[in-house]
Amino acid sequence: MSVQIVLEKFRAMAANPKGQLDTYFANGEKVVLVAPVYTPEEIIHSMGLVPMGAWGADMALNRAKEYFPAFICSIMQSVLELGMKGAYDGASAIVIPSLCDSLKCLGQNWKYAVPSIPFIPMTYPQNRRGDVGKAFTKAGYERVIADLEQATGTKFSEEKLAASIAVYNEHNAVMRQLDEALATHPEITAAQRCDIYKSAWFMRKEEHTALVRALLAELDAAGGGPEKIKVLVSGVLFDSPALLAILDELGFQVAADDVAAESRQYRTDTDPNLPPLEGLSEKFSRMDHCSVLYDVDKKRVDLIVETARSRDAKGVVVALAKFCDPEEFDYPLIRKACEQAGLPVVLIETDRQTVNYEQAKTQLEAFRDILA
Amino acid sequence: MEEVKKVRRPPDPNSAKYKLGQIAAKAYSDVAEAKARGEKIGWISSNFPVEIPETLGIPVCYPENQAAGIAARGGGARLCQEAEDAGYSNDICAYARISLAYAKSGSAPEQDMPLPDFVLCCNNICNCMIKWYENLAKELDIPMIMLDIPFNPDDEVSDAEVAYVKGQFLEAIRQLEGITGKKWSEEKFQEVMANSCRTSRAWLAATSMARHTPSPFNGFDLLNHMAVMVTARGKKEAAEAMETLLKEYQDNHEKGESTFRAEEKHRIMFEGIACWPWLRATSTGLKSRGINMVTTIYADAFGFDYDSFDSMIRAYCKVPNAINLETSRDKRVKLCKDNHVEGLLVHTNRSCKLWSGFMAEMSRQIGEACDIPVASFDGDQADPRNFSEAQYDTRVQGLTEIMESRKEGAK
Repeated sequence: MSVQIVLEKFRAMAANPKGQLDTYFANGEKVVLVAPVYTPEEIIHSMGLVPMGAWGADMALNRAKEYFPAFICSIMQSVLELGMKGAYDGASAIVIPSLCDSLKCLGQNWKYAVPSIPFIPMTYPQNRRGDVGKAFTKAGYERVIADLEQATGTKFSEEKLAASIAVYNEHNAVMRQLDEALATHPEITAAQRCDIYKSAWFMRKEEHTALVRALLAELDAAGGGPEKIKVLVSGVLFDSPALLAILDELGFQVAADDVAAESRQYRTDTDPNLPPLEGLSEKFSRMDHCSVLYDVDKKRVDLIVETARSRDAKGVVVALAKFCDPEEFDYPLIRKACEQAGLPVVLIETDRQTVNYEQAKTQLEAFRDILA
Repeated sequence: MEEVKKVRRPPDPNSAKYKLGQIAAKAYSDVAEAKARGEKIGWISSNFPVEIPETLGIPVCYPENQAAGIAARGGGARLCQEAEDAGYSNDICAYARISLAYAKSGSAPEQDMPLPDFVLCCNNICNCMIKWYENLAKELDIPMIMLDIPFNPDDEVSDAEVAYVKGQFLEAIRQLEGITGKKWSEEKFQEVMANSCRTSRAWLAATSMARHTPSPFNGFDLLNHMAVMVTARGKKEAAEAMETLLKEYQDNHEKGESTFRAEEKHRIMFEGIACWPWLRATSTGLKSRGINMVTTIYADAFGFDYDSFDSMIRAYCKVPNAINLETSRDKRVKLCKDNHVEGLLVHTNRSCKLWSGFMAEMSRQIGEACDIPVASFDGDQADPRNFSEAQYDTRVQGLTEIMESRKEGAK
């Protein structure tokens, strides 16, 4: 398989989640939707169910307006819109964590807007590091398990969870490897890089791991490409095709990301030496560097600067999803820290409803000139 | 011709209004004096368990109250703009923007407040609070004590949640003892709990006087008195002032009087935080049509009546914005029914995603359960730019007409 053939496979998965959903249904699989930002996918996987990412889509919002006012993040609004329009029909349940205020509202609205797909809440603690926090995470997972058993008729076992944890740890490792490898492969476009990450949400992780491994092997053999302008991208999402096309057209290379739907997912592994459910709770206690996880030290900001430097990125592109207040609060501090480190920053406002990124293009052209 | 000046009567020092005003003002002056003495002082979020700082004798002040005060006195747009100039999006809660801007300059003629040595954050009203306080702590380089009370998707508070919050509660005390050198006293804690419950009971009883027709008070009074419920409910003076308020409302009822200075033609529930920059406009729009806002969820929000440590924890886990749609709806339905509400006016508050994010469905359900019309308007708790007087007027007029036609129909 050549690099291009593997990339085509990622592309096909990333571009057509509905097709993938239908394939799972045709094979008699039960699918459980997982909303942003973190959910215990390992549990869902261990119960023989397919966890499938529900991060919304670029689309006009109509029916979601019956529930949400305009100033709620369009990612949440588009998840609800898709649910109301039947895009997820057939799914056994949706797991929605309450990590931000808009997610809390999504869960409450879901019950009435999409009654055919049961809502399973996951309540994470913000004070997650101490014993009481870990115990509360575990209680949250136990509740998710009970709800999943009820919604799907499947049974949970710790043994199977241990096996799924191994699958997820392996996937995390391979995604971190991929992230490093892509930093040295400017010939992989921003759009192609996004496809690889995005497709992970629509495939079983063991299948995705195999495909990423195949790509890594091909990349090793293929060597590099001509240099581009290296940048670090940050945000909840960075998957707008129009925006990615602009990055590619202007000659940027995504040398690293701090994107919630991408690398933030793969930074932390579960300790396989702990009892599985306890291990999974312990994993959450160590998760960090994210706008929806309490962190008074704002280590996320430092990580952005450190990563950009270590990858030799010349600047930082922040894609701020409109009305995503956790990210909006972090932005001034990111900007300040980057400026102090001599890293130029450009802020691009994104929205699931935006079709035209002409303004962003102008901003990115100017940014390229600064970096050059 | 000589100008005739309206003679203002001096306030009666025995009145609830005077007492409550004094307590609200003292909330700032006490903390400023403590700061001047060299004591460490904190900023605290409105539904952080006040029992902790009150028991420890730690002076604290409330950025939400300050932001509301600044907005009501016309400084909202200026400070919001300052925050935006510093990189904060104008989508962010206006209280947070005002507070973050204030933290930078440390001064606002509309309402000064000493800068903190630490912040006490509780997210039982929203997660936005966490981000706001993280930024305060980071920018001011001071410690943050975080009490996480998560949004509860279920009808009841689980034992797991109580254990989690209790563990943090004890940790918060330990941290504060370390920062301030003050010591926890069980005896004082019992006294503060008793005061808090006594204040809350008086508040609940006073607000429930709206069950009478006409109501013995104008619901906008509650928005002012609430400041004391937020800042001082653990103090004996607050309990006494709230009992005075109750007594006044009882007297008003017996005499057939009211602080609503118009004929009470219609009775509504107002949903959401007040539009502080447009308080007069929103209030006049109702009063001129004979509409009394007889209740709000605030009537229930500060009902911290508990009899043990665990039940206190449960009470803080059940504050309005920490509970699911069904529990939130049922509380409001009860308030509407108890207080003979005839219409619901919803403030779709641009600053408050959590409060507004599932309000459309909840208000539909309340309207249906109570058989009352529902109208909503767009506004903001502190950013004056997000409110249109014309839209407000049109929506209130629409609500009035439906209430009127229903009354006509019933004749």
